[in-house]
Amino acid sequence: MEQPLAGMRVIEVGGTLAVAGATKTFSDFGADVIKVEPRGGAAMRRLPPFRDDEPGPERGAMHIALDTGKRSLVLDVTTPSGRAVLTRLAATARLVFVHLPRAEALAALEAVRCATPRPTAVALAAHGLEGPFAGRVENDMSVFAWSSRMRTHANPGHEPLRYGPGVPTMQWAATAAAAGVAAAWGHAHDGEPRDVEVAGVEALLSNVDAWYVIWALNGIELPRGGGPSKTLYPAGCYECLDGYVLFASAGEPFFSRLCTGIGHPGLPSDPRFATPAAKAEHWDDFMQYLGPWLAERTRDQAFRALQAHGVMLAPVLDIAEAMTTPQALARGSFVSAPLADGGTTTIAGPPFRLADAWAARAAPRLGEHSTALLDELGYSRTEQIALYRAGVTG
Amino acid sequence: MSSRMLAGVRVIELAEVWAGPMGGSYLGDLGADVIKVESYPRFSVTRIVTPPVPGQGPSYETSATQQTANRNKRHLALNLRTERGAEVLRRLLVDADILTESYSAGTFDQMGFGWEFCRAVNPRLSLISMPGWGVEGPYQGYVTLGSGLDASGGHWALRGYPGEPADQVPAIFHSDATGALTLVFAAVTALHRREQTGAGARIDLSQIEALAWQLPGAFAEWTMHGREPGKLGNADPFVVPHGVYRAAGGEAAGGGDGEAWVAIAAEDDAQWAGVARAAGHPGWAVDGHAWATVTGRLAARAAIDAALAEYALTATAEQIADAVQAAGGIAAPLIAPWSVLTSPQHQARGWLESVEHRWVGTQLFPGFPWRTSPDAASWDRPSGLVGEHNQELLSALGYSAEEIASMVADGVIGDRYSPRA
Repeated sequence: MEQPLAGMRVIEVGGTLAVAGATKTFSDFGADVIKVEPRGGAAMRRLPPFRDDEPGPERGAMHIALDTGKRSLVLDVTTPSGRAVLTRLAATARLVFVHLPRAEALAALEAVRCATPRPTAVALAAHGLEGPFAGRVENDMSVFAWSSRMRTHANPGHEPLRYGPGVPTMQWAATAAAAGVAAAWGHAHDGEPRDVEVAGVEALLSNVDAWYVIWALNGIELPRGGGPSKTLYPAGCYECLDGYVLFASAGEPFFSRLCTGIGHPGLPSDPRFATPAAKAEHWDDFMQYLGPWLAERTRDQAFRALQAHGVMLAPVLDIAEAMTTPQALARGSFVSAPLADGGTTTIAGPPFRLADAWAARAAPRLGEHSTALLDELGYSRTEQIALYRAGVTG
Repeated sequence: MSSRMLAGVRVIELAEVWAGPMGGSYLGDLGADVIKVESYPRFSVTRIVTPPVPGQGPSYETSATQQTANRNKRHLALNLRTERGAEVLRRLLVDADILTESYSAGTFDQMGFGWEFCRAVNPRLSLISMPGWGVEGPYQGYVTLGSGLDASGGHWALRGYPGEPADQVPAIFHSDATGALTLVFAAVTALHRREQTGAGARIDLSQIEALAWQLPGAFAEWTMHGREPGKLGNADPFVVPHGVYRAAGGEAAGGGDGEAWVAIAAEDDAQWAGVARAAGHPGWAVDGHAWATVTGRLAARAAIDAALAEYALTATAEQIADAVQAAGGIAAPLIAPWSVLTSPQHQARGWLESVEHRWVGTQLFPGFPWRTSPDAASWDRPSGLVGEHNQELLSALGYSAEEIASMVADGVIGDRYSPRA
């Protein structure tokens, strides 16, 4: 069976982590994704880590994981000649993603809109393409700072923290992918191309886990972290034999299930724990029951024993452990992906499962498909040599 | 919802808590007709997971999560564990394109529904199931919130202060934000598959796998080198400066802690020259200065951090960020929620959405995560009241006024919850 997005051509312009992340899911579900790269290669090819710690355009983990199955065309879209190629290429596509500095982005988007037929365009810009901050250059950390989420991602008295490296940018990418796939669907069904803009700050600020809305409606700023709560419990990390488990079982019915699970089914009716007010005063007492129970069990033992009672808890795992849980192994959550040089590596598998729909193919070498694509667009070899000699293609 | 991108697509939502309902709102924003079948007589966690807004109205109608994650839908409150309730769901599915559910793995089948039921009712219907750890696999029936997926998905191991134990890492719910967007992509992918086959598709969306996709560098450190990346704080092993520094007040300092912070980074020599100029030390970036080169800065991380910490204290977070940006470096204030209202950028773009809701009044909500033209999204339906569209939806399904009244009397449908339901 064909992959579900087979027949859809998607173009990616700009070479950033955000734009490469936005098109990855299209590629893995069967779209023909063309990565338009500047002559030195996409900036995201320069992002670590690198295989064997040796940097190079085909060795970066971000490139290997996020450019799966794409084709690479080297094209300088900051020149009129490059933009003319982009216009011709865009006419063959349903969807074009653009992430460039503002002036270059506006010129590239104009080239895309000149295409006949014209595709739907998705522009990524940290603050959006218009407004007083439109020209600002941001990175993964500074976009997150603007999202209001960073400020309270902190412990009292310590500096606020970013999320995992790249995670805010990948979330922005996922936002652009969702908007793009819907816009392309609409375009295919009503014939109307769309212009979509996804500002990184807006994407993160509108997330369900951004707390602006709590402040706006409730007038409160959520407290910073600082370890497990001793009033609403168990919520947060608790130590067991070989590490920590994370509970989210302070409320009912989870608290009662937990008490049953650790062999003390009477605790919820014990006056010390029967009301929220009393419970808030007796964390130490409660730990007399939970502490020893956890101390005798590994994370996995505690997790399985209490999940069997319907308690919300999860083991806190490091990276290697997260890749090898019984669930991850049974599902094949991590898959072997081929490399352009013939080797293989392991990357995250599909973000959702649909039969015969997802495949991670090798990420392209820089400019690997330039000639084939220029041939397809009707450029003669004489024209191709002229473009190459002028530094427009590569 | 005025977007027409998904016009004509009908989505039935059985999803609860956060990721699923938020994804449903996005589908509604994009133009789908989303019908939320809400649990009754027990209400969903979505309605209470954040505090109620003080004032009029039942507390289960006013939480912030309920407002944002249940917009642009029609609401039906239905007891699926009754025979008549199950029949209402069956009739709803006859004309639907997508059904979403986020029960723990296996639960939807145990309730008497599941994939075979869906196919029998409507072969063109796609089912998207999104339990935390996915449908297939040994974790059947396991329950979690987004914080648990962050903990066991590896993200927890990357966040936090270097060397501090896991219990000092703040709990977050990022996977809910990720799962919501993944649901949108999955729904449109199911529609594409149906165009190929004529049949609905079954999708197993594991929220922890949807999160894994966002951590390629961390997983690669392990698979390529056998190294745990660990907690880096705000540092970047290859970029100096890359950090957060205390500033001398500013808007963000208006909170209870009185703290203001600014993030500063320079990813290359040109950006470093900008930081140096803004800090009043252009010489830091001149040939011959130890800090003028990438490798020189790498070797001087602590000294540069100390110098920037001193600089950041000379002005407010906003002033530092403006100055560094104007000079060509990267800097941003760690804004507080109230700064969203005063941001010149959000004001210029008119990003916030003023929405009137029966019980929370007129409020300024976060705008949409994308802006589309010509059919811009709009917040046409504020979060539905419990059972707000019961009559309208059941009438459309062919139920008579008498049948509807009887279902109300027997608790099959309802329009209010008991406070302790």
